[in-house]
Amino acid sequence: MSKFEPTRRDVVKGAAAGVVVAAASSFDPAKQALAASNVVTGYGVTTSQLKDWSIMTASIGLEMQWTGTNADIGTYMRDVISNDLGETHDIFIFDGGTEDILGPKGHYAVLQEDHPELTLWDRTSDDWKRTDLLKDAAGVQYGVPVIGNGDSFGYFPDKLGASADGMDEISFEMLYESEVTRGRCATDQSWLLSGSEMAHYCKHHGRVEIEDATDCTGAEMRQVVDIAIEWKKAGQFRTLHTAFEEQVQLLANREVDIINCWEPATKNANLELGADIVKYAFTVEGYYKWGHGAYMHVKAKDRGNVDNIHKMLNYYMSGEYRAYQAEQRGYAGPNMDLGIEYATANGWSEDQIANLAWTEKKVNKKFEKPFFGKPAAIHAAEMEEEWQRFLNV
Amino acid sequence: MNNIQEIEGPRGLKGWYTNMMSAGWVVPTFVATWICIVVIPLVIMVYFSFLDVRYYEVYYDEPSFKIWWSIIESGRWMAVTRTLRITATLTIIQLLIAFPFALWLAKGCQSKGVKASIITLLTIPFFLDASSRIIVWRPILGTNGVINTVLMDLGIINQPMEWMLFSEFAVHFGMLAPYFPTMVFPIFLVLTLIDDEYIQASRDLGASPGQTLFHVILPLSLPGIVAGVVFTMVPLMAAFVEPGMLGGGFVNVLGDSIEAALRNLKYPTAAAMSTLVMILLALLLVVLVVISRRRGALGNIFQTMKR
Repeated sequence: MSKFEPTRRDVVKGAAAGVVVAAASSFDPAKQALAASNVVTGYGVTTSQLKDWSIMTASIGLEMQWTGTNADIGTYMRDVISNDLGETHDIFIFDGGTEDILGPKGHYAVLQEDHPELTLWDRTSDDWKRTDLLKDAAGVQYGVPVIGNGDSFGYFPDKLGASADGMDEISFEMLYESEVTRGRCATDQSWLLSGSEMAHYCKHHGRVEIEDATDCTGAEMRQVVDIAIEWKKAGQFRTLHTAFEEQVQLLANREVDIINCWEPATKNANLELGADIVKYAFTVEGYYKWGHGAYMHVKAKDRGNVDNIHKMLNYYMSGEYRAYQAEQRGYAGPNMDLGIEYATANGWSEDQIANLAWTEKKVNKKFEKPFFGKPAAIHAAEMEEEWQRFLNV
Repeated sequence: MNNIQEIEGPRGLKGWYTNMMSAGWVVPTFVATWICIVVIPLVIMVYFSFLDVRYYEVYYDEPSFKIWWSIIESGRWMAVTRTLRITATLTIIQLLIAFPFALWLAKGCQSKGVKASIITLLTIPFFLDASSRIIVWRPILGTNGVINTVLMDLGIINQPMEWMLFSEFAVHFGMLAPYFPTMVFPIFLVLTLIDDEYIQASRDLGASPGQTLFHVILPLSLPGIVAGVVFTMVPLMAAFVEPGMLGGGFVNVLGDSIEAALRNLKYPTAAAMSTLVMILLALLLVVLVVISRRRGALGNIFQTMKR
């Protein structure tokens, strides 16, 4: 069995080596500079960033040089594997699940849990740090938890006949096959989110026998898609969206009554519509689980910057990072209590502290239901193939 | 016809080789460069379409038709036929609108200022990226959009017209303006080059306006029409921003399908779909060559307009 082994960077390096072999092998000023400084380089999803890294610099003395990417796993995998970004970047942050592939393949370093700089590791709850989103199939721990959420859908309570406070548990039935919402629903075009949610719904209600709704075999997914096609043909969906901006626009224009979306989309829509007009659902069936993990690249071990990298990893579990992430994006993460502690100690307003407390309470309520989600499913290719039938009908 | 034969030179492979070498180093250099940067990557792309992907990795060991078969099973072939249908429909609509408009602009519009203004206005779509151009239509065409709101307020309709957005209608509508200039400009250029004396002579010989249009202007403008069709049809086949934003996921086209495959690191699937596009474009080129041969060789297409 032959696989494509050399990375693009390796090929370029090989060619360049013939010309500058002596210089290249003996001295790399960029690496030396990074090793000697307080700079940590990171690559990953933009949602994990602080909007202002100088807060962190003032707090722990590190500087972050961040390269952002979107939530496209194809692009991310290409950059880590083929473009070999580990040569230049210390920390990688993406939807947990990538470690299933990038850990065993030797890109992510196994987490050194007893590293002296990882001071918050022990007090971080197992719900966050021992999730399968941070470990590979063999149970090897590669990442630390950064942020996470259980995704569901946004809705207008009055259109669904639900309570205005948003505390009702709403079934995904409203999104897929209720006559109340027919023609007024929107679902994401991605198989990963919508396909997994539909599979979980079908499994939950005994419509299809599925072992793992987040990693359906081709045959299981075929049955789910057949049902989804019936929903589509019945006119359930007003549109199938692709981007965050679309989610906001569809809600803000009241083009739909219910839409599976990211939670911040409802926040942004409410900025236009008025406070608490759109609610983000607590559901009957459960939530699409996602969590960003932070991973150190294996190649970063040789750059003499390991302590700083672990200090950075530790920061992602700290109260300061937690408070700012929850405040700026509404996302929860490990050690929410430290976030509230930080906000209180630093004179944040009562409203801001109450919002942080609500974020913690909300996540705890969601944890009462099943969580599902696997960005790097083994049967991803088969699921995507079947999903194409749904899109093309 | 003799003149055309002289322009074309000797036919066949030998003739092609002779012509190529007679230009010195320029043509061979161009051909060699083109092979390296265009043809070889295309060959690699076709090869990729026979490979397999397992768990985000491309496997090179067992080339097969598996990916091609999956294009049928997954319904991706429907994206191909849908793309062809939309492309053909839009190209015809564009041609039907663009030809009379270009004719008026070239021969009917007497004011140089108006003509310059219109030409400038036609270039506006080139200044904006597709997303910015298209996103504005959503609040206009939506169920709570400007058109539906106005019509309902005026009592003309009782229910919002949902078909105006997230439908094939919306996609066709949204792609009219962006691809109009690519159809108009080549036709306008050719019509401008037609000597007015031809048209005058046709009138002097007693031809009706219709006869002049169909027997003089239309044949002479064929090079521009062919160019307009090519410049419009090819990008239409690759378009996916407009179908994505106005089709609302119900108008899945080739570009969407390729994009989805790339997002999931399914390079062989993307390669197979791209190969399909290439085959379709090659067929289009064959049709183009056949049509253009009626008016001389493809390379001398504009020569036929000389007096």
